[in-house]
Amino acid sequence: MAIMMPASDSAVLDRREAIVAALRAIVPGEGVIDSAAEMLPYESDALTAYRQPPMVVVLPDTTEQVSKVLKYCFEQGIKVVPRGSGTSLSGGALPLADAVLLGLGKFKRIREIDFDNRVVVTEPGVTNLAISQAVAHAGFYYAPDPSSQIACSIGGNVAENSGGVHCLKYGMTTNNVLGCEIVLMTGEILRIGGKAAENSGYDLMGIITGSEGLLGVITEVTVRILQKPETARALMVGFAEVEAAGECVARIIGAGIIPGGMEMMDKPAIHAAEAFVHAGYPLDVEALLIIELDGPGVEVDELIGRVEAIAQGCGSTTCQISNSEGERNLFWAGRKAAFPAVGRISPDYLCMDGTIPRGALPKALARIRDLSKKYNLAVANVFHAGDGNLHPLILYDANKPGEMERAEAFGADILRVCVEFGGVLTGEHGVGIEKRDLMGEMFSEIDLNQQQRLKCAFDPRGLLNPGKVFPTLHRCAELGRVHVHGGKLAFPDLPRF
Amino acid sequence: MAATNAANSSGQGGEGEKEGVDTLKVRDAKDVEQAVREAVASEQPLEIIGHGSKRLIGQPMATNAVLDLSALSSVTSYEPNELIVTVQAGAPLADVQSLIDSKNQQFAFEPVNTAALLGTPELGTIGGMIGAGLAGPRRIKAGGARDHLLGANAVSGFGDSFKAGGKVVKNVTGYDLCKLLAGSWGTLAVMTEVTLKVMPRPESERTLVLRGLDAIVANRAMTAALGSPFDVSGAAHLPNSALRSEACGLGAGREALTLLRLEGITVSAAHRAAALAEVLAPFGSAQILDDAASAQAWSSIRDVIPFAASGALGGSPVWRIVCPPATGGALGEQLARDTGGEVIYDWGGGLIWAALPSTPDAQAGLVRQRVEAAFGHATLIRAPEQVRRNVDVFHPQPGGLADLSERVRLSFDPKTILNRGRLTRGLAA
Repeated sequence: MAIMMPASDSAVLDRREAIVAALRAIVPGEGVIDSAAEMLPYESDALTAYRQPPMVVVLPDTTEQVSKVLKYCFEQGIKVVPRGSGTSLSGGALPLADAVLLGLGKFKRIREIDFDNRVVVTEPGVTNLAISQAVAHAGFYYAPDPSSQIACSIGGNVAENSGGVHCLKYGMTTNNVLGCEIVLMTGEILRIGGKAAENSGYDLMGIITGSEGLLGVITEVTVRILQKPETARALMVGFAEVEAAGECVARIIGAGIIPGGMEMMDKPAIHAAEAFVHAGYPLDVEALLIIELDGPGVEVDELIGRVEAIAQGCGSTTCQISNSEGERNLFWAGRKAAFPAVGRISPDYLCMDGTIPRGALPKALARIRDLSKKYNLAVANVFHAGDGNLHPLILYDANKPGEMERAEAFGADILRVCVEFGGVLTGEHGVGIEKRDLMGEMFSEIDLNQQQRLKCAFDPRGLLNPGKVFPTLHRCAELGRVHVHGGKLAFPDLPRF
Repeated sequence: MAATNAANSSGQGGEGEKEGVDTLKVRDAKDVEQAVREAVASEQPLEIIGHGSKRLIGQPMATNAVLDLSALSSVTSYEPNELIVTVQAGAPLADVQSLIDSKNQQFAFEPVNTAALLGTPELGTIGGMIGAGLAGPRRIKAGGARDHLLGANAVSGFGDSFKAGGKVVKNVTGYDLCKLLAGSWGTLAVMTEVTLKVMPRPESERTLVLRGLDAIVANRAMTAALGSPFDVSGAAHLPNSALRSEACGLGAGREALTLLRLEGITVSAAHRAAALAEVLAPFGSAQILDDAASAQAWSSIRDVIPFAASGALGGSPVWRIVCPPATGGALGEQLARDTGGEVIYDWGGGLIWAALPSTPDAQAGLVRQRVEAAFGHATLIRAPEQVRRNVDVFHPQPGGLADLSERVRLSFDPKTILNRGRLTRGLAA
């Protein structure tokens, strides 16, 4: 494993039997799993290259139990790794050998649907899609739609601040959650926010969202729901040059149009997807844009015309417009199946997740092509073009010695390119372990220390999900020191009155 | 950096200029770092200001030096096609708004201009806009200031510059510190530069006006509108009694007004206005305001013009109450009845502005009791300094949450150097 995880505490491992017994006293019956065979499903998340069986798995089904488990672990100095559905692409739920894996899978109940306040109050183990399904009869849905929405849990979405193809227009998880019940590592249960648009005091909901399970364990979430747009139509536009496709994206935004979704695929991705789903994608183009417009019929029809004209002005070589739901879904079928489609043509692939300013797309793709030659590994690019979120898929074969390491080095270089062009390491998958050691590319030690001090405010002993996000762990006491800089006046030359 | 005595400087914000207070006018982030380090060393808390346009909001502070960021006023970069603008924190809000307006873009959360409400000059900086985090009517659709702050450079109470977030619209790298900075009233860090998301300005707007509804029925009408598929971007209700102020830009009528806004391309806004009027037919027949008239009405609501300092209710303390939207009508009506005060409603009932008759505590006990029963929270946004000294201006949090918030604050500013006591009564001592 290329990533070093925190050293196991043998004193904890030596007490394993007693720890299992103590957890059984809190969560009776099948809620504690300690046999190697039964723990197997928990040894990795969707970043499957990394595997580690936990010390023990505990699956509480009440907030009280979560609180007692955390309090016990806090008092005993035992690490805890929280887990939702285990669909993280960045290793956020990777277990530690000496840690309790705390699964929220039994929190499966939607607690309240409140159409008047346009919110759903739900337990964290409910899947993203199940929330939309529960309110669909009244025309509502929950907007963020990560591609794993059939499986990923809303608790995991909050932990990772998940996005999806529609977040350019409708925002990410953080823009769609209002409140939560959270249990701190000490076992303390807090309620933050609720059905109101804003909570009082500091925006703690905002900092918890996207904290990757390092600040607390969420046991309830309140999300906003929206009315479904009346209609949606899509354009599928091909370009002979990536630059022209990039220009088209810029001009659409420049014209004041925010599409519901705007996706780009490069030639290798188009070919892989077409071979897999036969969506009718043009095979002789260098870049394909799928642009979806949603809203009232009159608006969508008008905007389809405007976007078509912009695309033509940018030299599009093909342009198809959906005239039915079937056609629209077919346009999307290839894009949505891009990952498995690439999986068909390569034994393994790494999915990267950097964000760049939209305008940097052509030069970023050129650099990725150069890197592909340097590392002698193929790459297919899919891209949330509207918000600059790039997903290069690096093709490799883990059975060939050294190839996975090469693929990881290639991926790291891509993320460095993203940062170099003014972008960031991760747009929606999270840092986890995958990008942990690259944090220094984007943040200084001072930046990271500030983030870790915040962690100390929630988890002073650093027991919750350690080894994720931060490349170097510091003790809270050491981070909290204020260095008085010599105690001398900084502006001795200034007149003072 | 220029240091002046307040007595010599041209105070821009009205109240708060104290005799013998040092004003440090910083030129860059390095100056800010040095000023904060010096303040830490000498244990002298700093008041952080841009233009000082919101100095009348918050607990009176225990600071005896002012850190003035108004010279950090330049636009670092504006890239309309990327939907971002990066500006120094002291940049005048009005200038930045005209800049993005020239490309038909805007801050979608409609920052509230508090000048009329507070009776202060028409000023304000980008840093103040984010630090206060006061969002206008479109918050129900577009989110608040916190949803539009993508990145920041700031100086913590350690005197260290740190970076939060990034300069792209989609980013989950590390903790989202921007969320904490927005609405922190300068108590966590001194922002020196921020990157904000901008959005296209809608081509057209239409506002449906229903007349004569009481607060409960109006709340129901707004709930019906916001539960419709017509993408309502503003939902407000003004009871007739709140309209006694002449200059509110909402007509001289004596009837209660319920307003619902639709924005977008012209054909869509018009279509949705007609469709929504049908949905709301049971509440009465709606008049439709077009672009300019609609914009004027919403700017009055955004800036709480009915309670302007220069108007009939200018002497009343004003509360800003946020609550679950569907219960706002009942809460507001109860507050108005029990105090004899006036209320107006925005955010479909989820935001109540209440101008209540003056008492030594600005009715804080009653307001907080009623608001908490409705699962909301209340901020005393306008009151004389003496009143603010004696009540919690910001809504007190329950014990565990208050403790966590305090630990969060200390993780940024362990010596409580920045805007000491502005958020929490007692901290100023």
